[in-house]
Amino acid sequence: MADENAFAELIHEYVAECLPLAERVSDAFLEIERAWHRGGRDAQAIAELKGTLHTLKGNSAMMGLAPMQRLAHLLEDLCALALADEGARGLELAGLLVEGSGLLVDLVRGAAEPGGAAAEAVGGFAGRASEYLAAHPAAPAAALRLDRRRSDRRAEGDAGTIRVDFRRLDTLLEIFGEAMIEQSALPEVHRRLAARVGASPELADLDRVVVALGSTMKRLESALMQTRLLPISTVFGRFNRLVRDLARGEQKQVRLETEGGEMLLDKSILDRLGEPLVHLVTNAVVHGIEREDERLRRGKPPEATVTLRASALADRAVVSISDDGRGLDAARILARAAALGMDLPEGDASAAYAVIFAPGFSTADAVSQVAGRGVGLDAAASAIHALGGAIDVASEPGRGVTFTLTLPLTLAIVRSLIVEVDRERYAVPLSHVAETVRLEPGAVHEINRQGVVMWRGAAIHVADGGEILGSAPERVGGRKYCVVLSAGPRRRAVLVDRLVGHQDVVVKRLDATVGRPDVVSGATILGDGRVACILDAAGIVTQRAVA
Amino acid sequence: MSDATVRPGSFLVVDDSPLHHQMYRVVFTRGALAGSVVHHASNGREGYAILAAHPELTLVFLDLNMPEMNGLEFLVRRRAESLHPHVPVVLVTTESTPEDEARGRAAGAWDYLRKPFQPGDIERLVARVRAERAPAA
Repeated sequence: MADENAFAELIHEYVAECLPLAERVSDAFLEIERAWHRGGRDAQAIAELKGTLHTLKGNSAMMGLAPMQRLAHLLEDLCALALADEGARGLELAGLLVEGSGLLVDLVRGAAEPGGAAAEAVGGFAGRASEYLAAHPAAPAAALRLDRRRSDRRAEGDAGTIRVDFRRLDTLLEIFGEAMIEQSALPEVHRRLAARVGASPELADLDRVVVALGSTMKRLESALMQTRLLPISTVFGRFNRLVRDLARGEQKQVRLETEGGEMLLDKSILDRLGEPLVHLVTNAVVHGIEREDERLRRGKPPEATVTLRASALADRAVVSISDDGRGLDAARILARAAALGMDLPEGDASAAYAVIFAPGFSTADAVSQVAGRGVGLDAAASAIHALGGAIDVASEPGRGVTFTLTLPLTLAIVRSLIVEVDRERYAVPLSHVAETVRLEPGAVHEINRQGVVMWRGAAIHVADGGEILGSAPERVGGRKYCVVLSAGPRRRAVLVDRLVGHQDVVVKRLDATVGRPDVVSGATILGDGRVACILDAAGIVTQRAVA
Repeated sequence: MSDATVRPGSFLVVDDSPLHHQMYRVVFTRGALAGSVVHHASNGREGYAILAAHPELTLVFLDLNMPEMNGLEFLVRRRAESLHPHVPVVLVTTESTPEDEARGRAAGAWDYLRKPFQPGDIERLVARVRAERAPAA
């Protein structure tokens, strides 16, 4: 039992050290399985993997983690067999290596959690692996444990790494946010002081200090954000297995390629990125990629490729998912949209593609076991919008589809437009503001008892800010400004009294029991100390789709 | 072996696993060995330099598998250069075969420590070093 082990308290260090090793082994076995599937018999990489498994076995044994120890041991023996017996290098052995290493990743990942991944799962695998080993006596038992090679070098500087509960970083950021608010009051104080005493050397000094403090705060903010970053490979890493398992279920050959895995993203974003990506990758494998015979008929390689790619723009991260499958069928999409009674987008095919993100839209003829009933794409799209991101799709018929996600680098600080409605101030995330317009008298029309404004040649629905926010509902027409919100292809305008300005606001999550969670996503404190609600712009825009 | 022989000393841990260094830290900061001086090295090369600078070491814990000079290479070089031969070195392994162990002893390992070990195993090794090499401490 781990509880009686003197080193049980080091369980997080165990996971931190062993999970990357186990994941690397698991990915490498997937690679080997593909190579062997193509008829290769190379086993060069296996010697090193065996060494890593030996390390995993030793570490697990030290922690008293018997299931992991046993798994690593069996995998080591399977590696030894692969090294010793070229005839054994085939799909059966590769399948065992892939299955066992996947199980090992799950067990190690769950090791720190009470009742983590089920250790019983080892039993079934162990039975099959032992049977297989017994049937292949080529593996010389003594030679199995040469205990020699190992090249899993750890990155320099590991010794200077400490583990910190992520909540502590959140607390730091909150405190920083308060400091930022206090700091933002300084220029105003300076201005009032200058108005009273006029020019003075002391005031000039104060001005320099205020400016210097501002730039130090910017540096502090960026240093603080650095502590919250993780490479996106921590998310990408999960997809090797998903793609393999899906492809197997679909009887397709699919390889996953990843690029830009080293790109850093705030943990709060990464935590919420996995699910939409699962939808998109699943769709690519199940619907995007053709069956093998169809691919051959079209002169494509039988093995399809799904690519996950990450890159950084100035203040946004871009993640794309591409496949080299059949591409979207614009005619079918439009027919389907018409059948569902949806507004048909005007313009070229790429505009038509945008309707696939609408709720309930799916062109899949057969309800596939994995892709479900077409809930995938709109769920993915709304998850991305909720993150303050955007999703776009591009398709080349016969060549494949690329989904492009544009994401903010962090959720903790949001660049916002501050607006005023009925003397209350609200923050609107700029990522969702398409435009602000000064309302001309009579600009708001009524169609089917719903307010509408014309914007860039199209009629978009408009709502009164006071009505949405529950302050004194005013007759539409009394407000001076209109903020056009966007979430993906959808737009909705909100009428407000005043545009106050732009500000970086530190998001404070609201307790579920307060506020109006359907239109408000959080709160922040403004420079003058006033509390302002942050509007859930994506929620407001999609709300109208329901109304 | 009396308990008095298990007392803090000066140790060197040569291992490429941060997890293992943490484990030695648990052993050397609690119980009978609390208060020991412990030097940490993450590969054989680094460990060799530390050994050269510390002839007063009570015991060296040397992992067998490491990048940048493994445990056997460490021992072979030490023997060749006759570097502080009075400092005993324990080779740390997982499931070593008798042949492996014979090779290690031939290269100058004083004893083996097999994973998984517990703090008591290290305390017993220290007691034996004290008993065998009382004047050297």
